[in-house]
Amino acid sequence: MRIRSILTVDDDENDLFICAYTIRKFDPEVKTLKAMNGREALVVLRTTTPDAIILDINMPVMNGFEFLEQYAREFSVHAPVVAMLTSSHLGSDRGKALSYHFVKSYFEKPLTLANLRLMSELLDLSSDPVKRPG
Amino acid sequence: MHYERFGKVAAQAISWICVAIASAVLAAWLTRSIALVQIVPTLFAMQFNTSLCFIATGLAFHLAVANTRRPTLAIVLSAAAACIPLASLIQQIFVVDLGIDRLLYDPFVTVGVDHAGRMVPNAAICFILVSAAIIMTAVRGRNSLARVLCGLIVFVIASSALLGYVIGVESSHNWRPLAQMSPQTAFCFSLLAGGLVFIGAREREYPRSTIAAMLAVVTYLLLLLFAYMEMPHQNALAENLQDDGSNPRSTLLGIVLLSGALYAGMFAFSFRSSQLYRDVAGRLQESEKRLAAIIETAVDGFITIDARGKVLAVNPACEKIFGYRADEILQQNVSMLMPTPYHEAHNQYLENYRITGRAKIIGIGREVEGRRKDGSTFPLDLSVAKVELDHQVIYSGIVRDISERKKYEKDILEANAELEEFSYRTSHDLRSPIASSLGLVGIARDMIDTGDTQDLKQVLGRIETSFRKLDHLIQNIISLTRTKAMEEAESRIPIAQTVRETLERLHYMENAERLRVDIAIDDELTTMRRASRFQIIIDNLLSNAIKYQDPVQTRPEIRIGATVNSGNLVLTVADNGLGIEPGTEHHLFQMFKRLHPQHSFGSGLGLYILKKSVEQLGGTVAYNRLQAGSLFTVTLPEKNHHAH
Repeated sequence: MRIRSILTVDDDENDLFICAYTIRKFDPEVKTLKAMNGREALVVLRTTTPDAIILDINMPVMNGFEFLEQYAREFSVHAPVVAMLTSSHLGSDRGKALSYHFVKSYFEKPLTLANLRLMSELLDLSSDPVKRPG
Repeated sequence: MHYERFGKVAAQAISWICVAIASAVLAAWLTRSIALVQIVPTLFAMQFNTSLCFIATGLAFHLAVANTRRPTLAIVLSAAAACIPLASLIQQIFVVDLGIDRLLYDPFVTVGVDHAGRMVPNAAICFILVSAAIIMTAVRGRNSLARVLCGLIVFVIASSALLGYVIGVESSHNWRPLAQMSPQTAFCFSLLAGGLVFIGAREREYPRSTIAAMLAVVTYLLLLLFAYMEMPHQNALAENLQDDGSNPRSTLLGIVLLSGALYAGMFAFSFRSSQLYRDVAGRLQESEKRLAAIIETAVDGFITIDARGKVLAVNPACEKIFGYRADEILQQNVSMLMPTPYHEAHNQYLENYRITGRAKIIGIGREVEGRRKDGSTFPLDLSVAKVELDHQVIYSGIVRDISERKKYEKDILEANAELEEFSYRTSHDLRSPIASSLGLVGIARDMIDTGDTQDLKQVLGRIETSFRKLDHLIQNIISLTRTKAMEEAESRIPIAQTVRETLERLHYMENAERLRVDIAIDDELTTMRRASRFQIIIDNLLSNAIKYQDPVQTRPEIRIGATVNSGNLVLTVADNGLGIEPGTEHHLFQMFKRLHPQHSFGSGLGLYILKKSVEQLGGTVAYNRLQAGSLFTVTLPEKNHHAH
């Protein structure tokens, strides 16, 4: 199953640009949605459910964790693959993010084609619940 | 220990002297020598029975009082010795002859008594009392009140008789005519009685010197009474013939001398005790003063309470700590110094301790809460000691106000948390622009490889902004450390000029030229500050206003003012920019809080640095929402209270 749409959430325009460029390089067919913080992302998600979300942690207004909390609480249908994309690895952050069932992966910036390929595989797995990694 | 040994030696000496004197008299009786009677008739005034009783009593005294080792034998001896005087007394009272007087020995001569060989009544009474006292001592193994009383009576009787011999008062030893207590009998009884009264006195802790004085006085009075009763009789006698020196004049002289001696003795005694008292009182006062000086000047509070919790004493430090005057605390329950729920429970604590003896705080010390007069509570260190006095138990507490220490602890914890936050955020934020640049460099290379170079310039521009962002963050971190660490002398700063120069310097900032700037500051206004810190404050206020201007506002502006208001320098920067969202104000001056969604250029440190710098100069910074935009007010005390 191919990824058709990805929501990228980041407050840094450069990072959004990198994501958009890399996604286009990975598959020009994928539709890229943008949000600059958690609240904007929630607004986008109320109208559409993308196949994947790429989420930064440190953002003004509503950060990545606040977003995950609200997304888990308010929405019954979640994007099948949510990947955290952050500039530094911190053990506690990683564990906290992966405790949400829809958070499938945790990447370090900048986003690469390999990251996107992994996300695509994860999407395949999650569409077939039996093979879901656990 | 010394006293104990002295008592023992004295008791032994008394018993042996008694036994020796009685044995001598006994021997004299056994010689039946008429010649001896003619030389010392008084020797035979102690009857055979009496001397026998003295030997038994002397031995019993030794066993019971000096040794306390063989009480049974002492009791048997005393009881045997008491039988003869008891029988003599019965004969005397009921005027019968039971044959006791001559049972053991038939006297060959009769001196001082009307019945040959009969013990005189005063000696009989003395024997009965002494025997009773010895039996009591043997049974109980120690001195007792009854024994002391017996001893007192015997002593008064015997010593007055003895003194009567000295000053010629006959009735003191002859209670009725021809019933003479011989001087050696009186002497032995005095010794025995003295021993009964004073040996072992320390065990019972009664005032020995007072008793001795009382004995002297009572003996003296008794003697006086005998002399008074005897005087008319002596007068009549004196008119006829003078023989044995017992004339009224010599008796009077004797009494005067005795009075004088007694008075002199008492005077010397009272003089010595008063001196001793003054000495002791002086030393006590000095040690009290020394102790008081320590307690009065102590930084810690001292409180003494009784077993019910009533405050007995407090020191000045206590008044300072709790805000009460001493007279407001004294006699009150100490629970008034405790907040709820300790206030209500304290009496129960004391009661529990009294019942169970299980200390929760005594001798341990712990951190508790205190309550000041104004009702505020504060943490304090409390240690309590139990003091057992003669008549009551009191508790002495030492309290130390530790709110300062607690505050520092809290400050340190906060600073530590802030530092952790700082390292967490810097590790993230320092890497963030580098990660972006790496990603962008990868894209640029990809563009060159694929020959798709039309957007290359834009990507390079993005790389540049990333590095600018990194540079800005590093600059901020540097100024933050400088705010914290730098020592600097104060200089006079022209405020209006500084503002203008700063605005010129910030002109490179995006859209800086769009702003209309209104500076309402007197050109003459200056302030004495540490220049670099003041500069950091101005920089942050102005760059903030430029950065967060509203892009859709057609006439963006900044109004900058500075006045001196009641000793404070008040700096105001108002703008009609973006402002901040209501409800997020409390994040405004926190580290790494960026509140503007579309403007990610900030490091999140600007207002934090502003706040820290203002605090370093002892001032405050406040934010107010305007209808359009923000108003920042920085207040710096003109009299510089340097906070470090």
